[in-house]
Amino acid sequence: MQKLTEKLKQDIHYIESLNSCMNCGVCTAICPAAEFYCYDPRVIVDTVQRQNEEALQELLKSETIWYCGECMSCKTRCPRCNTPGGVIMALRRLSQEEGYFTESEKGRQQFALKRVLGTNILEYGYCVTPDIVRPEMHPEQGPVWEWIYEHREEFYERVHSNYHKEGAGALRKVDDSTLGELRNIFEVTGGKAFLDNIEQCSLNKAQEMGMDSENYFLHTYMDNNGKHQ
Amino acid sequence: MSVIIIGAGAAGCEAAFRLAEAGIQVEVVEKENQPGGNLNNWYQLFPDRKPASLLRQRLQQCVSHPLVHLHTGTVPVKIQRTPQGSFNVNLDDGALLEGKALLVTTGFRTFDATRKEEYGYGIYENVITSVELENYLANGSLSTSTGKLPQRIGFIQCVGSRDEKMCNFHCSKVCCITAVKQAIELRELFPDAEILCFYMDMRMFGPGYEEMYREAQEKYNIKFIRGRLSEASENQEKQVFVKCEDTLIGKPLRMTLDVMVLMVGMESSDGSRWLAKELGLNLAPNGFIQASDPHYATNLTNVEGVFIAGCVSSPMNLTDTLTDARSAALAIQEFLTIPIHNH
Amino acid sequence: MKLEAKQQIWKDYQKEIADDRYYYARSCIRQTFFPGSEWAYLDILGNKLGKTVFDDPRHTTCTGIGYHSDVVPVETIMTVVARHFALMTEAGFENITPSCITSFGIYTEILHTWQEHPETEEQTREFLWKATHREFKKPKNLAHTSDVIYKFRNEIAALKQHSLTDVHTGRPLRVVDHIGCHYAKMFPSQGIGGAEFPAVLSGMVTAWGGEPVDYPERRHCCGFGFRNYLVLANRGYSVANSKKKFESMQPYEPDFIITNCPGCAMFLDKWQYTISEMEGTTYGKNGYGIPVLTYEEAAALVLGYDPWEIGLQMHQVSVEPLLEKMGIPYDPDAKYRNLRGEDMGRPACPTYLKV
Repeated sequence: MQKLTEKLKQDIHYIESLNSCMNCGVCTAICPAAEFYCYDPRVIVDTVQRQNEEALQELLKSETIWYCGECMSCKTRCPRCNTPGGVIMALRRLSQEEGYFTESEKGRQQFALKRVLGTNILEYGYCVTPDIVRPEMHPEQGPVWEWIYEHREEFYERVHSNYHKEGAGALRKVDDSTLGELRNIFEVTGGKAFLDNIEQCSLNKAQEMGMDSENYFLHTYMDNNGKHQ
Repeated sequence: MSVIIIGAGAAGCEAAFRLAEAGIQVEVVEKENQPGGNLNNWYQLFPDRKPASLLRQRLQQCVSHPLVHLHTGTVPVKIQRTPQGSFNVNLDDGALLEGKALLVTTGFRTFDATRKEEYGYGIYENVITSVELENYLANGSLSTSTGKLPQRIGFIQCVGSRDEKMCNFHCSKVCCITAVKQAIELRELFPDAEILCFYMDMRMFGPGYEEMYREAQEKYNIKFIRGRLSEASENQEKQVFVKCEDTLIGKPLRMTLDVMVLMVGMESSDGSRWLAKELGLNLAPNGFIQASDPHYATNLTNVEGVFIAGCVSSPMNLTDTLTDARSAALAIQEFLTIPIHNH
Repeated sequence: MKLEAKQQIWKDYQKEIADDRYYYARSCIRQTFFPGSEWAYLDILGNKLGKTVFDDPRHTTCTGIGYHSDVVPVETIMTVVARHFALMTEAGFENITPSCITSFGIYTEILHTWQEHPETEEQTREFLWKATHREFKKPKNLAHTSDVIYKFRNEIAALKQHSLTDVHTGRPLRVVDHIGCHYAKMFPSQGIGGAEFPAVLSGMVTAWGGEPVDYPERRHCCGFGFRNYLVLANRGYSVANSKKKFESMQPYEPDFIITNCPGCAMFLDKWQYTISEMEGTTYGKNGYGIPVLTYEEAAALVLGYDPWEIGLQMHQVSVEPLLEKMGIPYDPDAKYRNLRGEDMGRPACPTYLKV
């Protein structure tokens, strides 16, 4: 029974991203993730094209599928018109749908991403808003950001934005009817169910690891076991 | 009744000679001012490193046969079939040739390396093609754009071959062994340089090729790295900075090269493309002219009376090109003696 | 390096860019970190070039960062993007201009997927109708906002108050460009100049008097990597990749970095601070960093906008050395004042990076 393989082959990213691989390595050669992590996108694509159910399941539970930064530099170069980054997108989706993502430290981070991005998108209408870039969580942003954050009301006004106000312009408050449409889209297209599934699988994992949801969030946002490079 | 051959490279000259030896009058059309085709750009042949000039002399002798009439510096501009099925070929110098059969030996063109933008050919100063290197080897010298002797030289395989993005799905066959030969020649010029070859597969298909590859490793200290070049750039010293993966250890690899040699592949020549259109010949998906059958009719085309030989149908080494030319001569003789045609 | 051959490549990748009536698609990151760039863009287009740009209050995120962090499925993002097309259609516009490179890549990819797999477009239309009762036409023209500025680079040059030159020596400023990965790496034909030698930014630099400088890691990603920045535990990836670029460009002594992607601009600016704190390394002259400008900021400076009005005080790497080179007058105290002229205090000083 090739359940996972068959499911993977239905994914539009998989269909668009994998013809066949001749293991030339041009993807790994310029991959920022391969530069930093112990990571080889070529090997992932080769594993996937073998269509071995056990190997695929192992991949879905692994750390390795979570290293890619989706810069898609690999797409430019592949002489077979594959996109290893697109294959990764299909694998990550399947890993989350099947609940395997909680098996790896990097996979568990989907919980942090879901909490941060899911909230931003559905509550504010944008993936990023200044209010959530809290300096204590973003020390790398430096003292200028800290200063802006502290004075954001008057600062954003200074640079012509419409911060938290009605109407058009940067950083405006997205109105309720627009947010309602966005939420409806998530509901209708399965986006909401996808986020809920991440939440549920993660809470189960938290329980298994003996953590409450807040600690589990911090685990998924901050922890790095140092074994990825 | 004569046979018209278009292209006086290795295939055209050899076929002309064989037909002439059988007593057939041959008209050979060549766009350049001398016969020899791509062989004129070559220094030494693989795997025996015979000087290419010896082969060129031989080809010259072939077309010096009394029954061979060579038209150089001219190309066909129009080809028409007569009611009897023979070919009227108008040349751009005003000549009109008539032949019972037509042999297309328009060979190949080398891949235009500027199309492979990520390698920076034409932009980065120390990126050259294998054709250019052959010329440097013939002159016995190679230096970098800044006038230095190269300390590290890299050969890059599959430039314009096995590449869907370049619309060239095919393998050009001879680049692997060419790089081995050229690497050995460079080693003789630069005993202390580091010489590397970046490859995906070393396709050593001919007699003596694998042996030459092994000798390159054992005797000439050429390093072979299994990984296709992904990107090249230029640093302040005008060195070429390359990125590939050493796929056998599974790690990204970066290094600088003083000279980077692109092993440019073969593509269907402009002449072949024009003739295919003019004569209604079928093209294979890779743009080369398609033979009637890949096993027993390699010299026949979909048009009766039109024959092919050599790299016009697919990349070939010199050995196979000459063999293919003799095979075409035989097929043409059969065609001329067995009257099956007519239009 | 032979420039003529590069110019040939640029010629091979000309793309069509509409010349007026743009529907503006806002960027999450640009509005947060470079709101002044956004304002400058809209002001230049509307007031200097006399173009119509529609900034729609009903517009939202495209959800692209969620999509590339793999928490938003493709069906969802397609429908969100379709809603933007619907808003554009309803407003009577046909040309869509995302300000974000991630969005631009996504719009391009979605239009491509719809073409290759029409059933996905059909499904999206059904989803959109069910969720919002909206219908849409696909845009006639899709261009990134940097494409639009590129298109009008010579018109901007004709109005310029300052050049990209060192006024003290007359030397053209050396500028390294950083193109966001999703601009042309996925679909090279959609970028001006293609994926390998994009001309979108270097074309602006040249038109405004500067000298584009190539360097070995020019094409390398800034290191955003979505989940690799958004999750604190992964940020080493992001810093390490930016560091690789800084080290590669430093020997060329660039006067500034120009980028067309708001994320890249933010990272290349902020990571110089982070690296200086981690290692004490700085990449500019005399302990300063290398200033990073968005293309809107570069255009605005050339056109004589006040540096603080376009938000250059939001940069962690000081722009003052650059302003001085270009001979742009500025009030050092106004940098820290609000709209009413009141002082907002000062940011703390970094340990090593000079500001």
